[in-house]
Amino acid sequence: MEVEIRRPGGELASRPLHFFWMVDCSGSMYGEKIGAVNHAIQSTIPEMRDTASDNPNAQLLIRTLKFSTGASWVTSTPVPIDEFDWEDLDAEGVTDLGKAFDLLSAQLTIPPMTDRALPPVIVLLSDGCPTDNYKDALNNLKHLPWGKKAVKIAISIGQDADDEVLADFTGNRELVLQANNATALTKMIKWASTAASVVSAPASRVVSASAGDGSSAADTLLNKDDITAVSGSAPLVLDMNNIPDPDDVGAGDVW
Amino acid sequence: MEGQLKEGSMLTSLSGSKYEVNKLLGAGGQGEVYSVTCGSTQYALKWYFKHTATANQKSILENLIAKGKPDKSFLWPMDLVEQGKDSFGYIMELRLKEYKSIVDLMKRKAEPSFYNLCKAAYNLTKGYQRLHAMGYSYRDISFGNLFFNPDNGEVLICDNDNVSVNGKDDSSVYGTPRFMAPEIVVGKAKPSRNTDLYSLSVLLFYMFMLNHPLEGKLEANIRCMDVFAMNKLYGTNPVFVFDPVDKTNRPLPGYQDNALTYWDLYPKILKELFTKAFTDGLTTPAKRVTENKWLDTLANMMSEIIICPNCGAEIFLDESKESLGVAHTCWNCQGVVPVAVSIQIEKRRILINQTTKLYLHHITGNYDMESIVGSISVNPNNPKLWGIKNESAENWTYIKADGTQAPVAPGRSVAIVKDSKINFGQYVGEFK
Repeated sequence: MEVEIRRPGGELASRPLHFFWMVDCSGSMYGEKIGAVNHAIQSTIPEMRDTASDNPNAQLLIRTLKFSTGASWVTSTPVPIDEFDWEDLDAEGVTDLGKAFDLLSAQLTIPPMTDRALPPVIVLLSDGCPTDNYKDALNNLKHLPWGKKAVKIAISIGQDADDEVLADFTGNRELVLQANNATALTKMIKWASTAASVVSAPASRVVSASAGDGSSAADTLLNKDDITAVSGSAPLVLDMNNIPDPDDVGAGDVW
Repeated sequence: MEGQLKEGSMLTSLSGSKYEVNKLLGAGGQGEVYSVTCGSTQYALKWYFKHTATANQKSILENLIAKGKPDKSFLWPMDLVEQGKDSFGYIMELRLKEYKSIVDLMKRKAEPSFYNLCKAAYNLTKGYQRLHAMGYSYRDISFGNLFFNPDNGEVLICDNDNVSVNGKDDSSVYGTPRFMAPEIVVGKAKPSRNTDLYSLSVLLFYMFMLNHPLEGKLEANIRCMDVFAMNKLYGTNPVFVFDPVDKTNRPLPGYQDNALTYWDLYPKILKELFTKAFTDGLTTPAKRVTENKWLDTLANMMSEIIICPNCGAEIFLDESKESLGVAHTCWNCQGVVPVAVSIQIEKRRILINQTTKLYLHHITGNYDMESIVGSISVNPNNPKLWGIKNESAENWTYIKADGTQAPVAPGRSVAIVKDSKINFGQYVGEFK
């Protein structure tokens, strides 16, 4: 049946999903590490685009923040995933994590955050110890309403990263992912990139392994008693079964 | 994009067929999908991740493969492929590119006519009904699993590896939030045929209204839509956007406009079903709208579309308006739309325009909306005189208003005249 008149109305109403890459660009990241990060993040883009196009409830917007001596935004405004291209980052300087948290906090206040959104996702990649006073800045971030609701993931690159700081940031030790070589880094970055789709449509599987107590009614994903919400962190909806095993990757240089 | 399987590698299925891995097409939470070739035919292969390649999943697949697909609308596991003890996958047909997903419908990238929209909704409902008739429950109805051809309303239901026997908890898949029945969201029940009926009603609402049935002002008021907020909105405190009594969740103008635009385009029979589904049906699984009720209503809607004589837009006949003497107004050009002549067979009414087809369901009520038994023909001596042509294999009898009868053999046409009747054999239809 030939129809020329299009049905009325517009697209399904959706909410923005702000996704932040926070990248440590200090001198120790120079060479192989920053190269691996650049390559890995760029390679997540096609799949993030595919996943976003499968999810009409969310508009995925990406931003990149880099920190070394000082911190700055690589993207001036949130970029829709379809328009997002990765520009390689360089590495030199120290590790001003605190300044990075401050910049992030400025973006997670209202405004510029809008009235309605999905929980933001922040992925922090770092290989070392902060060189500035990061504690106040982190506390500030964690107390912001949007800071509290954000899903925070950290990727600890190499053996020298301060995992305590990263765990403080994520609020959950399990969300500090270890990457000791390029292959592991790529897998961890890839896993972190899938957090966006999970946040907008929480995974349809049981989160907690049932302790065999038979009371399966409590096992539903959305049952809030089941969700481990450590203070300052967003409810855990990510599929922890899916995190790549850091030891289960090809042998390569260990950093 | 690199997957678990290498391009060019060969796999042998349990039935002995050899498949060559071509390309990684995509990946989901449970596994990856590849295009593969067997002989000269291309298929799709779903390959599970290590942690989802469980013995339980394998036995589910073996059962599904043995039983076969419920009907042609399903993309179904055909064959099992193993590689050592660690991993396995299954073969299915490739989905052709004419099929667009429901996501595309939501994003206005696939634009079916109202007729084909109804047809797609009809076919999806019918498919799910067949699934239930086989004793299965679907469990994971969601945007990503469903495809339709906007040009003809044919559908494909995919991701059928989680289909399970009704009531038995075979796997860990519970559903996608907005589609999950409230009793599942709050942890009081597991997926079953009844929770499927809820998901089906959400799907139909989305397709017709381009809005979720529980997303109105209450959703708009939520700042951060996290899991706790979803729990409340879809589980503990669900309110239908057009609840006749509770008006707290009406769609917000400027944000949820689709719901406001579309609600009044549809006939009362559809609105009543949605209202039942999302008032009684929210809290009482036994009161959910059954597949047959949806099919009756959707078949009626498909058969009662008027084409606006002014602009060509599709208008749904609303019998409640007719009985009140209220005229139909075109939603596109605001012109008055006269109700054309129709034929009424039992409760089924078919409006007649040049492209109208009479289906077996129209005559017998057997839900077959594919087999054509009648079409419209134009009298060669008088182009203003239309008739119905007998496309079936049975003889019909024409009964004029004055009582005289005439046979209508297959291939012959009979004039459409008000108050005359056609005896189809089992049932009689009357022109109005």
